[in-house]
Amino acid sequence: MIEVSNLSKAFGKVKAADKLNFSVQAGEIFGLLGPNGAGKTTTLRILATLLKADAGSATVNGFDINKESEQVRTSIGVVNGGMGLYDRLSGSEVLYYFGKLYGMKRQAIEKRILELDELLKLGDTLTRRCGSFSSGMKQKIVIARALLHDPSIIFFDEATSGLDVMARRAVLDFVKNYPSEDRAVIYSTHVMGEVEELCDRAAIIYQGKIIAQDSTRALLGKAQASNLEQAFFTIVESSGLVPAVEASA
Amino acid sequence: MRPEMILHITRKEILSTLRDRRAIISNLLIPFLILPLVMLGLPVFLGGLFERESQTISEIAVVSLVNLPADLRQQLEAQNLAFSEVTDPFSVVESGDYQAAIAIEAGFAEALESGGKATLTLYSKRGNLRSELIASKVENAVRDYQQTIVAERLKAAGLDVAVLTPIELSAVDASSAAERASGSFGWLIPFFIVIWTLAGGQMTAIDATAGEKERGTLEVLLVSPVRRIEAVMGKFLATMLFGLTAALMAILGYVLGGTVMRRFFGAQLGDEGSEIVTLLGGSLSIDLISILLLIISSLLLAALIAALLIGITMFARSFREAQTYVAPLSFILIIPIVGLQFADFFSFSSLIYLIPILNTMLLMDEIVKGSIPLVPLLLTWGSSLGFAAIFLDFAYRSFKREDVLFRT
Repeated sequence: MIEVSNLSKAFGKVKAADKLNFSVQAGEIFGLLGPNGAGKTTTLRILATLLKADAGSATVNGFDINKESEQVRTSIGVVNGGMGLYDRLSGSEVLYYFGKLYGMKRQAIEKRILELDELLKLGDTLTRRCGSFSSGMKQKIVIARALLHDPSIIFFDEATSGLDVMARRAVLDFVKNYPSEDRAVIYSTHVMGEVEELCDRAAIIYQGKIIAQDSTRALLGKAQASNLEQAFFTIVESSGLVPAVEASA
Repeated sequence: MRPEMILHITRKEILSTLRDRRAIISNLLIPFLILPLVMLGLPVFLGGLFERESQTISEIAVVSLVNLPADLRQQLEAQNLAFSEVTDPFSVVESGDYQAAIAIEAGFAEALESGGKATLTLYSKRGNLRSELIASKVENAVRDYQQTIVAERLKAAGLDVAVLTPIELSAVDASSAAERASGSFGWLIPFFIVIWTLAGGQMTAIDATAGEKERGTLEVLLVSPVRRIEAVMGKFLATMLFGLTAALMAILGYVLGGTVMRRFFGAQLGDEGSEIVTLLGGSLSIDLISILLLIISSLLLAALIAALLIGITMFARSFREAQTYVAPLSFILIIPIVGLQFADFFSFSSLIYLIPILNTMLLMDEIVKGSIPLVPLLLTWGSSLGFAAIFLDFAYRSFKREDVLFRT
């Protein structure tokens, strides 16, 4: 469902994405694992057509990110950790707003909100204004907004940051059950445990480069590690890339 | 561009602004109320102040009261003045113990009686309204007394008082009814239209651009299938609408303020107050065509200012930062407004109507005064449209720039 080939993007001298290659199949949860500033968000923004790649190409749900950006955006939903909502609108008003932007009819939006209410237990988040929400309530509406148009692919970008333990668990359970034969998820995070729990395959991204990519089990095996955090450090060390802290020292 | 998408974004921005209590107060209530308050408060306050001061007995300091002729003393007392003897008139006025003082030279009465000239020195503080008002009572009394003496001297010489005024200057006000009604401060209308268009659109523009960035909703908006030109146009329309609404509310308040003043508070205003209301343009009545022209001009001005606001505020990372970008804009706009009150002293080339914002103010000033100059009208409208398009294009280009959208 996603094919990425030699995708590159630099901000000045900093290479945020350096010849990235990966693919995501239907039914798969693909992890993008890396520390803050590794280039995960830049990669997702390029795939979401918010940023233009300097080089390389990618297709999302069969659509070229450069030539068919509108179709790409219609195919995806994005859940990020920023949890940006309009404080003065209620949950249902936010969903109506975005539903219309996705070209949905009013009745279709109403029907979809009922489905999402059942799935995510939206409750009074639909009637209350977003400015009064807890972080867990916000994240429910953010997820509902991303699912509203029933996208084939969802990008989760640091989706659990700032959430309490209950809300975090709800998000992880949701992601785990989302993929189907015509859906896929890219799950981007710096939390190794989440990738280990959720993802079928993962790419370890560091200083804009993918330094390893495989099934999570194979990554553990290659690094001869008992958990993904251990594997991450072993793989970074063996990549020959200088850790950012050492480089600045 | 899909109009339904643009209007959908506009509706959301309108709803969001309408639910912001601060925006409602600053966009609708304040512009509507501030002018009637100025027109009610200022005339009533100043009129009352002048009236009260002229009717109450004011004590002035006098040096050598004994030298004051009885007739002049009567004239001064008729002006509600009372006297306190002092030795240093300058210092008592300077210190504020008295608002005014007079010093009568020795031999004052004798000099006048012998047909000569006498000196009376008046001390007051220039720039101090109360001091000036009391000093004017002295001046009135002295003028009346002087006229009596002159009349007596002329009579003694066998002449009529009319010899002093061989030419009677008859002044006729040739200004049109609209010009008279707009008062000396009719330029306040374009002033308030510009100021309130900027102030009214500001909150919506900042909330729709820098505010969206700060909340993290801009990225979510742009990841939907909406086109960036549609997002810009939607936000632009909402900003324009609130700018225009604020300006119209201010004008409505201005016109209603004057009408309400005259109809319901005429008695309380007194002569002084009524004069102030007229000076402020409170007698203004504009015909339908002029109202239509003012609305079209305001609409184009609102479009220009909204496009400028969206373009500028888009660069900011936060609401607060955007406010600091917009603040100098108010200052820049005020400069031509200050010059506008002296517009009568200048004759402009038609090219001045190509300068954005200033042209609208000059044109509105003309319309309020009852003239509809065709060339300035067309130049102003064309210029406003052109600059609005340029600023809108700038805003759209900013919306496409990654370094602007994701500036952190």
